[in-house]
Amino acid sequence: MREGRLLRAIAAPWTRLTRVQSLLWARKWGTLVGFAALVIFFSLLRPSVFPTVQNWSNIIEQVATLAIVSVMVTAVMVTGDFDLSVGALASLAGVVAVDLMANHGVPVVPAILIALLVGVVGGAMNGLLVAYGGLSAFVATLATMTAYGGAALLYTDGATLFSGIPEGFRWLGQGDVAGIPTPVIVMLVVVFLAWLLMEHTVFGRRLYAIGGNAEASYLAGIAVQRLRLAAFVLSGLGAALSGVILASRLFSAHPQAGNPFMLGAAAAVFLGATAFREGEPHVLGTVLGVLIMGVLGNGLNILGINSYIQSILTGVIIVLAVLISSLSRRR
Amino acid sequence: MVDEKPLLVMQDIVKQYSGVLAVNHASLSLLPGEVHGLVGGNGAGKSTLIKIMAGVVRPDHGQILLDGARLDLRDGSGAYRHGLSFIHQELNLVPYLSGAENIFLGRPYPKTRFGTIDWQVLNRRADEIMRGLGMRIRVDVPVGRLSRGEQAMISLGRAFVGDARIIVMDEPTAALTDEEIRSLFRVIRALKARGRTVLYVSHRLGEIFEICDRVTVMRDGSVVGSYPIGGLSQSEMIRLMIGRSLGEGMPSARNRSGRVFFRAEALAGGPVQGVSFDLREGEILGLAGLVGAGRSEVLHLLYGSIRPKGGRMWMDDKLFAPRSPAEAIRAGLAMVPEERHRQGLVLNRSVLHNITLPALDRFTRRTCFVNRAAEHVAGQKLAQRVQLKAASLDQRVNQLSGGNQQKVVFARWLHAPPRMLLLDEPTRGVDVAARFEIYRIIRELAATGVGIVLVSSDLPELLSLADRLIVLREGRQLAELPTAGMSQETLLHYCYGEVPRA
Repeated sequence: MREGRLLRAIAAPWTRLTRVQSLLWARKWGTLVGFAALVIFFSLLRPSVFPTVQNWSNIIEQVATLAIVSVMVTAVMVTGDFDLSVGALASLAGVVAVDLMANHGVPVVPAILIALLVGVVGGAMNGLLVAYGGLSAFVATLATMTAYGGAALLYTDGATLFSGIPEGFRWLGQGDVAGIPTPVIVMLVVVFLAWLLMEHTVFGRRLYAIGGNAEASYLAGIAVQRLRLAAFVLSGLGAALSGVILASRLFSAHPQAGNPFMLGAAAAVFLGATAFREGEPHVLGTVLGVLIMGVLGNGLNILGINSYIQSILTGVIIVLAVLISSLSRRR
Repeated sequence: MVDEKPLLVMQDIVKQYSGVLAVNHASLSLLPGEVHGLVGGNGAGKSTLIKIMAGVVRPDHGQILLDGARLDLRDGSGAYRHGLSFIHQELNLVPYLSGAENIFLGRPYPKTRFGTIDWQVLNRRADEIMRGLGMRIRVDVPVGRLSRGEQAMISLGRAFVGDARIIVMDEPTAALTDEEIRSLFRVIRALKARGRTVLYVSHRLGEIFEICDRVTVMRDGSVVGSYPIGGLSQSEMIRLMIGRSLGEGMPSARNRSGRVFFRAEALAGGPVQGVSFDLREGEILGLAGLVGAGRSEVLHLLYGSIRPKGGRMWMDDKLFAPRSPAEAIRAGLAMVPEERHRQGLVLNRSVLHNITLPALDRFTRRTCFVNRAAEHVAGQKLAQRVQLKAASLDQRVNQLSGGNQQKVVFARWLHAPPRMLLLDEPTRGVDVAARFEIYRIIRELAATGVGIVLVSSDLPELLSLADRLIVLREGRQLAELPTAGMSQETLLHYCYGEVPRA
């Protein structure tokens, strides 16, 4: 009797929440709660391995390259477009950078800059096709993904480049500044700049407006096509930067090394779009998405679960996150 | 010959859209074997009533009786099963599919023994239907390859699949040539001879008089009445369609002797052909005409959002040829577009973000960072100026009423008043209180010297706001008139394409 009353008293604030309110709550915080649950789950199962400083720096170093490409792809997805070509472009940039250094005697810094330029040009090509050629982003970047991937293979004749790379190239992917790995520093800088750009500049606000309603934005005087093009350029630049860092980490350039970035980045942005805001991609959400995937991969590794199951679980988690957020939005 | 017991009755139908009554206690009955006209001005509620009859829109109140039994329509195909058939204003064809497939879309296709589609039978039946309409149109090619008129006939053919007892035609002749209209009328007469009922909706009053037995007149969502066609003249019909007296509290401050700062000559593009006018500072120029007359397109030609096919414009005696809204805005133009949700607002963003959308670069620190404090202050001021009723500037704009949403669109252009404001149906779907506040804003802007071009289907609004009118019909400029002393009736006569005798 008494216990019953006590129980009801404890439950009262929760039972008073209507279905709508709880859906709204789930929409806003569900993804973060899911992330926390994941962390707690792995910490309980492997308390001596998972929640350690060593392991977390591992995770963050692991996800640095994916984070860089993902936050830049976010710009494209904010406008309502899509970029499938980032993986192939990352591979191509890595191959170009390494080949210039190893086989053509180009110093490290100019070689990296040229590789980044490849990303900019590749992204601009996507943007031209989509914004001015009128192709759907999906079709256009599917085509360029295939073409850029082919270019990377052609460039190296399908081989992995690993000889003759100058030692100076090692710092970008394997070095550190005051104990913090260089890729992590680059990631932090890129995330901060992308966040600043998307949330605090006129440019970013206009990208969001285009994603919300392109026609209304156009009639309000926004240069819609030019901004869509710019978003693709950012995405290409991010892809190239990740590709170069990856090549330095591996200290070799494989013509398909960057390809997994495509699915990884898309998954991170979709997961991130379900967090905090209503289905709208945003930089910090994308970072959360990247972390979820990083933690999932790392945790399952520690538990000794093979990577095929990891893929299945990643798929399930994306579906769940998007489903919850779209169910709560249906009203 | 005509049985007096009604075949279909719509009883006391009410439908609201976000607080605005689209249909207000309307009733309509159709007799077997009659051709029944349905007329009314733009926005009188005809289309909504038909959508309710088709089961596409659910009424808030009222019922439909077929043969005296209550009809419950869950979706569009339900109406088809009860022998109702619809020809919509928009053709609604799938361009990649053949004429035969389009005609049978959503209906059971003839099947072979193996359960696959029997294409031969399908094509033959479609061909029979088209020939029954007196048409020789190939039904086995994708409709995308047919001419616009042929497509219209295919969509007509759709209504004749099965044996519909009631055929509803919503502006069926909009895309037809004279000859095609003749054959449509032959078909309608043949249907009538077979005892079928036709509900014929049209802006073209001449057609109503030619083909209909009775006519129902709607105005502002209500049915004014149903009349035998013989007892009505065209002028009487127009008078019934207007009815509403000029709204009180709509003073018409007649201007004005501002300087002519803008001229357009022989503008063409889209459906618009050869429209010319000039505009004075502080003047409100009205564009009158029926839906589809090309009024919105004139605004979009001025605004750079439709590519012109001809004509020239001058602003301050300098040639003016905007290639995009951005260029037009830089030259001092602004637009409140017709469809608030599709063209006006970014619905998932806040009130503030929508207000500052075109002028965001005014609130920057060090060239590209948004100064949120300055933005907020400016937004607050503009929201007050249009008397916006919102919980806060951070409220999402889709949570506002139609009237307040429209005020947000107005507010966006008041950062620096434009020189020329293009208004497309500025009070559509806006409640009465907000409507008068919008009139006040429009007048204030005109008083400060802004030249305004106003498109409105609301005749009292057009007559009381505008200083001068241009009447458009099928893309052409029919007349230029002063509004002083003009009655709605005269204006409507112009819109329907006849110049009233003095």
